[in-house]
Amino acid sequence: MSFWDQALEVARIDLRIERRIGDVLRIVLPFAVVALLVFPLALGIELSAISRLGPAVFWAIGILFGMQVALRQTADDRPERRDLYSLLGLDPAARFVGRCLSGSVLMAGFLLVLLIATIVLYSPDLPPGWPTPVFAGLALTAIGLTELGTLAGEVTAGLRNRTALASLIVAPLALPIVIGASQTLESLARDAGILRWLILLVATDLALAVAGVALARPLEEASR
Amino acid sequence: MNRTRILLGTAALAVGVGLWFAFTSPVDRLQGEFSRIVNIHAPFLWVAFLAFGVTALASIMWLVRKTPRWDRLGEASAELGVVFTVTGLFTGMVWGQAVWGRAWDWGDARLATTAVMLFVYLGYLALRGATPDPEMRARRSAILGVVAVVQVPLVYFSVYMFRTLHQTPSIRPDGATMPPEMLTALLVNFLAITYLYIALLVARLDVARAEERVAIESALAGDAVKPPRLTEVEDV
Repeated sequence: MSFWDQALEVARIDLRIERRIGDVLRIVLPFAVVALLVFPLALGIELSAISRLGPAVFWAIGILFGMQVALRQTADDRPERRDLYSLLGLDPAARFVGRCLSGSVLMAGFLLVLLIATIVLYSPDLPPGWPTPVFAGLALTAIGLTELGTLAGEVTAGLRNRTALASLIVAPLALPIVIGASQTLESLARDAGILRWLILLVATDLALAVAGVALARPLEEASR
Repeated sequence: MNRTRILLGTAALAVGVGLWFAFTSPVDRLQGEFSRIVNIHAPFLWVAFLAFGVTALASIMWLVRKTPRWDRLGEASAELGVVFTVTGLFTGMVWGQAVWGRAWDWGDARLATTAVMLFVYLGYLALRGATPDPEMRARRSAILGVVAVVQVPLVYFSVYMFRTLHQTPSIRPDGATMPPEMLTALLVNFLAITYLYIALLVARLDVARAEERVAIESALAGDAVKPPRLTEVEDV
């Protein structure tokens, strides 16, 4: 099997497990939508404030709950599964790429549903021509967060306090992604250039991909 | 140990000289006495960047060589980087309170990104603390040490990327934006604080080596037998 065949196979298996267990759809997504509902209740019913804060709340909840998507139970390989991958001769880099592919699909879907919920609940003032840059930013955010989450998930695999520790690692490291994602929409609203923010997102995604592939073997050994 | 004591003693002396320069250099016309804080604030943060760079380098070397000394160096440097970042942030906040009228200003991108960088390395130290097996600890923290260093350029370039209260660097390739007396005081402090970092790093490495010796000497027969891990118990 070629590298990409291996990666696609890992992604396919991950998505199939997720479809059966449904961590993202049944737990993380409803929890995130509840968080979207709670915010306006805490703010009061001043509609203009709610509308103004909509994009910020979307990104804050998207990033925080996105970590739960990246660190979902179904992405945590048990030792037996890792041993099986090793015995099959699976390239660790292909495993990393496959895991990022499946995670990115889930993350993009998660953020998309959250975006729709935000538009419905918050009625934010979206600037004209928003869909293309927002969707591009959303896709790049999904890829970056997944790469970061996969790296953090691997270095904390098997630890007792894995979820909290991985979140502590991912949250501050996600800063370039948060900045790039939030500034894309803000720059669009101010009619300023969005290209630099998209470049920041692309550069971050690429840097994380290179780091993940280059460190794939030590990562595999670290998570045993 | 003698070498370490000499290093620490001379570092204290160097910091003393740096402080003397800081307190005798002329002050900024608008900021007054508070402008002296920059002599401590900027060098501490520069050394924090250096310390995190050393951690990244040591992490790469551990991944290549897999010898414990690179792991010790990475850990020691990260610990010092955290201490120096906290000191740099604190002095910056004291200056901000005096000059901007508030210790924390969201309009300052450098301040916010530095705080985030601090948490990245607190995560690095937390990961080390949570991994009991020494080799696994070294491997995992080496990986994170390589990835975490991306925060350093982000903090440095934040003043160019955003509209921010924080000034751009005063020392640039085309010259300095301050009088020579103030520049001299700042450069002396840069050297003194860098020397302090080196001395503390050597001392911390001595402690790490001693800890490792104690761990080896106090090992008992049967220690090699590992109890089942919690996850394995859960699997049953």
